[in-house]
Amino acid sequence: MMKTRIMATRAEMRAPHSMRPLKRLAAAGAALFLAGCATVSPDGGFGTVQQLTKERTGQTATWQRPDAQADSAKARVDELLQQPLTADSAVELAFLNNKGLQASFSELGIAESDLVRAGRLRNPSFTFGRLSGNGAVEIDRSILFDVLGLLTMPLAKQVEQARFEQAQLQAAFEAVGVAADTRRAYFSAVAAQELVKYFGQVKEAAQASSELARRMAHTGNFSKLTQMREQAFYADATAQLARAQHQAVAERERLTRLLGLGSDQLNFKLPERLPELPKSAVEPKDAEQTAMDKRLDVLMAKRSADAVAKSLGLTKATRVVNVLNFGYANRSQTGEARSNGYLIELELPLFDFGVARLLRAEATYMQAVNRTAQVAINAQSEVRESYSAYRTAFDLAQHYRDEVVPLRKRISEENLLRYNGMLISVFELLADSREQVSSITGYVEALRDFWVTDTNLQTALTGRSPDASATERPSAKAALAAGGAH
Amino acid sequence: MNNRRNFIRTAGATMLGATAVSRVGAASLPEAVIQTSPDMQPPLIPTTGRPYNPVVTLNGWTLPWRMKNGVKEFHLVAEPVVREIAPGMKVNLWGYNGQSPGPTIEVVEGDRIRIFVTNKLPEETTVHWHGVLLPSGMDGVSGLTQPAIRPGKTFVYEFVLQRSGTFMYHPHADEMTQMAMGMMGMFIVHPKDPRQMKVDRDFVFLLNAYDVDPGSATPKVNTMLDFNLWTWNSRAFPGIDPLVARTGDRVRIRMGNLTMTSHPIHLHGPHFEVTGTDGGWIPKTARWPEVTTDVAVGRMRAIEFDALAGDWAFHCHKAHHTMNAMGHDVPTMIGVDQKDVADKVRKLIPDYMVMGERGMADMGEMEMPLPDNTLPMMTGQGPFGAIGMGGMFSVVKVRDDVKPGDYKDPGWYKHPAKTLAYEYTGGLPNPARAAGPTADKTTLIVRKPMGGHEGH
Ligand SMILES: [Cu+2]
Repeated sequence: MMKTRIMATRAEMRAPHSMRPLKRLAAAGAALFLAGCATVSPDGGFGTVQQLTKERTGQTATWQRPDAQADSAKARVDELLQQPLTADSAVELAFLNNKGLQASFSELGIAESDLVRAGRLRNPSFTFGRLSGNGAVEIDRSILFDVLGLLTMPLAKQVEQARFEQAQLQAAFEAVGVAADTRRAYFSAVAAQELVKYFGQVKEAAQASSELARRMAHTGNFSKLTQMREQAFYADATAQLARAQHQAVAERERLTRLLGLGSDQLNFKLPERLPELPKSAVEPKDAEQTAMDKRLDVLMAKRSADAVAKSLGLTKATRVVNVLNFGYANRSQTGEARSNGYLIELELPLFDFGVARLLRAEATYMQAVNRTAQVAINAQSEVRESYSAYRTAFDLAQHYRDEVVPLRKRISEENLLRYNGMLISVFELLADSREQVSSITGYVEALRDFWVTDTNLQTALTGRSPDASATERPSAKAALAAGGAH
Repeated sequence: MNNRRNFIRTAGATMLGATAVSRVGAASLPEAVIQTSPDMQPPLIPTTGRPYNPVVTLNGWTLPWRMKNGVKEFHLVAEPVVREIAPGMKVNLWGYNGQSPGPTIEVVEGDRIRIFVTNKLPEETTVHWHGVLLPSGMDGVSGLTQPAIRPGKTFVYEFVLQRSGTFMYHPHADEMTQMAMGMMGMFIVHPKDPRQMKVDRDFVFLLNAYDVDPGSATPKVNTMLDFNLWTWNSRAFPGIDPLVARTGDRVRIRMGNLTMTSHPIHLHGPHFEVTGTDGGWIPKTARWPEVTTDVAVGRMRAIEFDALAGDWAFHCHKAHHTMNAMGHDVPTMIGVDQKDVADKVRKLIPDYMVMGERGMADMGEMEMPLPDNTLPMMTGQGPFGAIGMGGMFSVVKVRDDVKPGDYKDPGWYKHPAKTLAYEYTGGLPNPARAAGPTADKTTLIVRKPMGGHEGH
């Protein structure tokens, strides 16, 4: 046992020159996130998580640890449940109440305790051995000190520090994911509930037609065929309403799960309708650069690449590689208007493998760099796609609100005038009212899509991939684990 | 008032066409008088040429002429016009001299006439003189007897009238479109001897039909038979003038049919005789006494009667033709109780009103908003309530005290004592009735006015 440790130490001793710069790097890294970390911090590093989360969701995440906090959290949950939920209060609720999120916050505690342990020497151990045989007894007493631990402590601390920081990012990442899921579920639940009302109106119109048609057939004014056609509309509308009703239940249950609500909290209220469409669509500035600076998955991947570098002991950072250096800003050419391009940067240290030239080290490092680049490329692409989806949803919702719905309404008014002149029948009037209602359902759906894509855009800009649900474990976590293993 | 000079003076305010046409060559062209009022104009009493007894055009007028070296010269301008079908509805039509139908042309047997026709339509046209005996080259069939009159061009038709009677004029170039757009007019040839076929009042009008989608203003020219506006001189009741006469007047009504279907024209009150057909006058011994005469497509009919005091309905007997625009696919709602369903409908369509449960007469009484530029399907108020008529309907109003030459609406008829239907207020004993037939399973259940359901 002792032997191996010494050998490990020797292996470390072979490159003693690598110690000092490594220490410097570690110190710089620590200063970025945390000042001093040898002992358990009062907030367990959660302050950083809160800050990261608040910046990205507008809501404060809390970590429910088994103390008085839990009671005040419960009181806040009860308070929030009194009022119809808003998107923000739903996110706040989820932060307080989502058990999966709380579980992922606990990772932070584990990482911190690892970090603290890495900074302490193992207690010395005393061994007592007694060997007897061939009539002789040999008693061996020794006190063992963790010599290797002493020698590797700086490195272990660095690794654990990196893991701790990753855990913080990861916790914020989870929180942002839960917030996005919650907002999406919230908007879908409100919309689904609103749609039930309108499908109910469609059914009512169809029912009136069907009932009238039945009476028409009874008095001999309609053939069976004509009557059954009207009845078929009603039958379809009934099925449509049933589907809409289930959809409303399903969306509400999805929200219930994200809010972590138990069976005694199911009567939470949702508003009758979705929030209005904003006056104008946002035009995010430097969207892709924002994603590079803010996206948690990008930061994690970057940190992971750093950690790989450190744990490989590659200290000769000679230059910086900009893996995404493309484009340029404000190009001006004679005789032409200035064209604004954009510049996106994601800097990663590139090490000179010169002396070490270890194939494995280089490969491992390049793997981390490429993985980070891929995360960055995905992030930028997602920002562009999310913006397109957002913009389209905004324009569509506006089109429904300002064109389709009013037009349908005017058509209905004209149809009523035609009915007044006995130019069309009440059946055509009812069929038209069904179409008018479906233009409103079109608007509700477009408005829902807008709010969902708005959430997705915000998520893509500052948080994470908008496609992945928080309940699916993202690959960034695997990257973290890979980075930390060295 | 009743002479040409006055007429032209009154029409002067609307002589917009004259200056435009003068470009063609004012020296050789008679002025193209135009008329845009939809009201009936007084008869044009001739001051030049042979004397005759002028006609009165229902909601129309007669085209003035000038004499030039013994030839009567007229100027017709084919052009787009806006015609008020009835108050509340104006339609884009094509017509002549500011109006559709065009002015009535009145001439006398033996007259030599020269008619200048200027085309201000966007497409080529001709004028065919329907029923008039003339040289083949004056018959106005584009391609067959003459080249078409291109837009902006003026053609001259010149012929001598050989026979008196009731005729028409209309295009014979793209006539489906042009007649669907209202290109037509009456052509009256008076007998050389004014005493021949003399009457006290001589009304003329054309039967025409349009398909104007409710809420629009231009007829659908491709409609074959399913028209929704049935008009006399492009006017629908209550926009049609009454036919006013004095008790005992000999009244003639001349009608030409340029629609796609026949019209059984029916007069209440006095019996009439058909005195003229497409070919001219009917000898006394061959005349048919009638109360309804069917005016088939492309035909002319003249009827005559002795006026009897009263307000006498005068209309086409195809019931749909005394309606204005109506839905042709609207199901019958008679006998269907809609009340509770209506409440449900009203939740979705707040301004919805139940109609048709008792029939369609509700329509004549309810004043409900309609699409723009659309006439109610039946309308017109009489002294006793809603008349419930539209389209090809008017009233022959005969009074004892109407002055000769006065065509003014005298108001509603004052019925002499004991000549007006009245309400019976006595008891209603159940009349003895034989047992009715019983329904079997193939008979639909029909709601009867009272009782009688024992058999079901
Ligand atoms: Cu008719």
